[in-house]
Amino acid sequence: MNSNIKIRFRIVIYLLIMVLIVLVLRLYFLQIMSGQLYAEIASESITREKTVTAPRGNIYDRNGKLIVKSIPVTAVAVEPHIVSKNEDVMEALSECLDMPYEDIKEKVYQSNLSYIDRLILKIDIDAADMIYLKENSSDLPGVEVVDIYLREYDFGLLASHLLGYTGEIDKERLESEEYEEGYEGGDQIGWSGLEEAYESILKGEKGKIIYEVDPLERPVSIKEESAPICGNDLYLTINIDLQRAVEEILYQSILEVRQKKDSSTGQYYNVPGGAVVVLDPRSGQVLAMASYPTFDPGWFVGGISQTDWNYLNDPQNYDPLNNRAVMSFPPGSVFKIVTAYSGLVEEVITETSRFSCAGVWLGLGKDFPKYCWNKSGHGSLNIRGAFKNSCDIYFYQVGYGLFNKFNNMEELLQKYSRIFGFGKATGIDLPYEDGGLVPDREWKKDYFKDRPEYSIWFPGDTVNMAIGQGDLLVTPLQMAQAFSIIANHGIQFKPYLVKEIKDNQGEVIMENSMAQMQDLNLNQYYLDIIEDGLVQVVGPGGTAAYAFRNFPLDEIAVAGKTGTAEFVGKQDYAWFASYAPVGNPEYVIVAMLEEAGSGGSNVGPIIEKIYRYLFNLE
Amino acid sequence: MIRRKKTFSDFDNLRRKRSRIRFDFLLFFLAIAVASFGVLIIYSATRGTLPGGVSDPWFYLKKQAIGLAVGIVLCIVIQFINYRKIRKYWWLFFTAGICLLISVLFLGYEVYGSKGWIDLKFFTVQPSEFSKIFMIVALAAVMSKWRGEKIQRVTFKKVAISFAVTLSFVALVLLEPDYGTALIYFIIYLGILFLSGANFLYFLLILGLTAGGFFIAFNAGFIKQYQLDRILVFLNPSISTEGAGYNLYQSKLAIGSGGLLGNGLFLGKQTNLNYIPEHHTDFIFSVVGEELGFLGALIIILVLGVIIWRCFYIALNSSDSFAMLLGSGVGFMILSQAIINIGMTIGIMPIIGIPLPFLSSGGSNLISVFLGIGMVENIYIWREVRKDHEIAYQEFR
Repeated sequence: MNSNIKIRFRIVIYLLIMVLIVLVLRLYFLQIMSGQLYAEIASESITREKTVTAPRGNIYDRNGKLIVKSIPVTAVAVEPHIVSKNEDVMEALSECLDMPYEDIKEKVYQSNLSYIDRLILKIDIDAADMIYLKENSSDLPGVEVVDIYLREYDFGLLASHLLGYTGEIDKERLESEEYEEGYEGGDQIGWSGLEEAYESILKGEKGKIIYEVDPLERPVSIKEESAPICGNDLYLTINIDLQRAVEEILYQSILEVRQKKDSSTGQYYNVPGGAVVVLDPRSGQVLAMASYPTFDPGWFVGGISQTDWNYLNDPQNYDPLNNRAVMSFPPGSVFKIVTAYSGLVEEVITETSRFSCAGVWLGLGKDFPKYCWNKSGHGSLNIRGAFKNSCDIYFYQVGYGLFNKFNNMEELLQKYSRIFGFGKATGIDLPYEDGGLVPDREWKKDYFKDRPEYSIWFPGDTVNMAIGQGDLLVTPLQMAQAFSIIANHGIQFKPYLVKEIKDNQGEVIMENSMAQMQDLNLNQYYLDIIEDGLVQVVGPGGTAAYAFRNFPLDEIAVAGKTGTAEFVGKQDYAWFASYAPVGNPEYVIVAMLEEAGSGGSNVGPIIEKIYRYLFNLE
Repeated sequence: MIRRKKTFSDFDNLRRKRSRIRFDFLLFFLAIAVASFGVLIIYSATRGTLPGGVSDPWFYLKKQAIGLAVGIVLCIVIQFINYRKIRKYWWLFFTAGICLLISVLFLGYEVYGSKGWIDLKFFTVQPSEFSKIFMIVALAAVMSKWRGEKIQRVTFKKVAISFAVTLSFVALVLLEPDYGTALIYFIIYLGILFLSGANFLYFLLILGLTAGGFFIAFNAGFIKQYQLDRILVFLNPSISTEGAGYNLYQSKLAIGSGGLLGNGLFLGKQTNLNYIPEHHTDFIFSVVGEELGFLGALIIILVLGVIIWRCFYIALNSSDSFAMLLGSGVGFMILSQAIINIGMTIGIMPIIGIPLPFLSSGGSNLISVFLGIGMVENIYIWREVRKDHEIAYQEFR
């Protein structure tokens, strides 16, 4: 062979060696340097995770009666990102589930667009469909038959505002931080009430199945499996029998009041809604909480129908979803307990101070006459008499006195309102609790910042607030809390609804104790004076005397206060707040009816009936 | 050092040498070893996934084992024919190769858009694999020393004839169309041309013609953009995991996850779950990489390297230019396929569907490679006969 050829052979061999070295280096890079990374990606790309829904915890009343439970139903879930690419699967589903193809396509595409990982296509499928889907699962990638849990309500509409309702998680929540962990599309979550407030307690922990799939997304083998853990059970402070009685009384009373006419205008009372709160003042436990109009949480099970949803949102039905017990309204005269206490403590009045009521008071000047509800006047009254008759003129003057003390620099009436718990949420374990409003100089300045002429706090503002009018707003629950402070002689309890939480083994994992108790260090003597006044309200000649005319007050002494709050453009809001038995209070009851006229005559009977039920009187 | 004159005792030595069995056992056994390993790894790749709708997990193992047996038998059988005798019949090989490639255009059936297979009832044949061998014989005959030539030299005539031969093979393969195999044909030709000692101007000419032809074919619409994209997908490091990039992505995942020692034979996750398409044929090396890791892949590459080296070594030490080009042709055939195939599974070569010699599933490929090995052994066996004889004769005289 000549040397030229030999050189060329050598070149070929060198080239071969070089290329082989390149191959080996590349392999070294792939397998040794990034082997770990590739192994992870590879393992990730073939493993899938599937969850097994955990049953939601049950809800019991204070006596262990089951109110809400979870029942398993079979549902069809799809993974939108897989199914949206496969029209055959959608067609098969349409045929099997008897749903229009277009509907399925629309739903799947919508969910895929919003990156929802799982979509529940149909709930409660029958056994034949379930078997069909399971048997053909290898031809239906991305389709899964799952067990989900739906709520069942043993007491129907009862306590629906407290319990709240559950429903499928929506896109916004799925993307929010709160629902980041442990949630996926199609999950049932609490949407309102206790279901929402105790979501993390009730939901339980999902089981997990980690499995491997082939390139067609067909499951091949299971790598890891963990069973779901049932949610914890709630034991409420509510007594479901009392709740039923209260709701029935509220409903009946509203129907009765709607038959009555406003004597001044001749119109029937509207009474769009009302609320009752029954509290145990010794602990802050809510024994019953009713709101009218109400709704059936069962409507939401498995997705609410359009008709039901329209009903709930129709303004003619006065927003049944709202829990009026934690919404704020003008309180009217019920608020006078705060005015009285402020006046006594700040020495604007004494136990024996007397003011004369002639039906009109010109303390703010002749151009600003302030009238008593009783235009003919009450004559000369002390504080007890002022309560008994709910004399506005008396309290105007107390308010005016409070305003004039320190030139209202300290906003005394607001200060005591806040001590009694107004102006901020009580912190009850319910979502969307209204804090109400205690108007003050700051608030007014801010509220009327576009109209400077209104932004000043006038003496008339304090005077109005003294009788629970003006911009003051309180919730029935706040009022109940304020009355339990009076009943307890200054001890405040935070109201609550969940007594204890038990895990699925029945072990108590959380007990709501009286740790939220607070001694407000109020003046006992002044509270006694107020209590005297409140007792006279239901006694002979008091504003609620008629409602309690047949009640055995000598056996069970009741303290109460009526309220009739004016509301611009609407009929009066009627209130009645009370507690009993005086001296050893067991119950605080507050009731409020919207647009129902006089608190004494229209709400008083509600309270009286509830006391009759509570004390087993006929 | 003064050169000693040869004596009768030297002749005896030579005689003794000649009686010794001349056979490159290293090449032969490495080839059998790597092909046997191929049978095993094909079993690993197919036993669970059963590509092609077969139901027998041993189907591909059996098929490959039969191919291997036939290959070994043919490899041994052809040793009885002196390679020199076939030289003057090169046109017969040329015609046979061309006929095979034409027949596939009429009788063949399509797999993945390429009409490359003929169904012979009991087995299928991929003629373009066998034609490689025929083309190597034809090219070696054309490019080697012609009768009357004192020394072997590359004339324009030789280049023209060889180019025509190559072009006819390549054109027929392109008609199937099978771009990968056509490229291999072309590389074999360039290799043979190079080792025949051709002037570099001829290379420029041929490459220029090819580039021009390609340009025209692209503009005339014979080559579509998507085909080009598919081939060039390896150049884009941020590979799409869909479409053309999918194979490569899965292959890299499989090989990369093999690490140093691999997941173990039969234990490749990506392999067993059928994530790598064509993992028993074109992507068999991904299975090696995943199941046997860097070490296994390294050993396979080294073995293939030694086999290729033996081919070139035997070619270089053969006794005439025809044998030299024949051996080199086989060397280039194995080399080009091995490097492009392995390179494409690890993302440094274009993804063109060509099999990995000895390892990929497919009887035609395996048999043709063993025919090639047989040819190399043949030139080794018949290497020194004439030379020794001549030397002996001269010495004796």
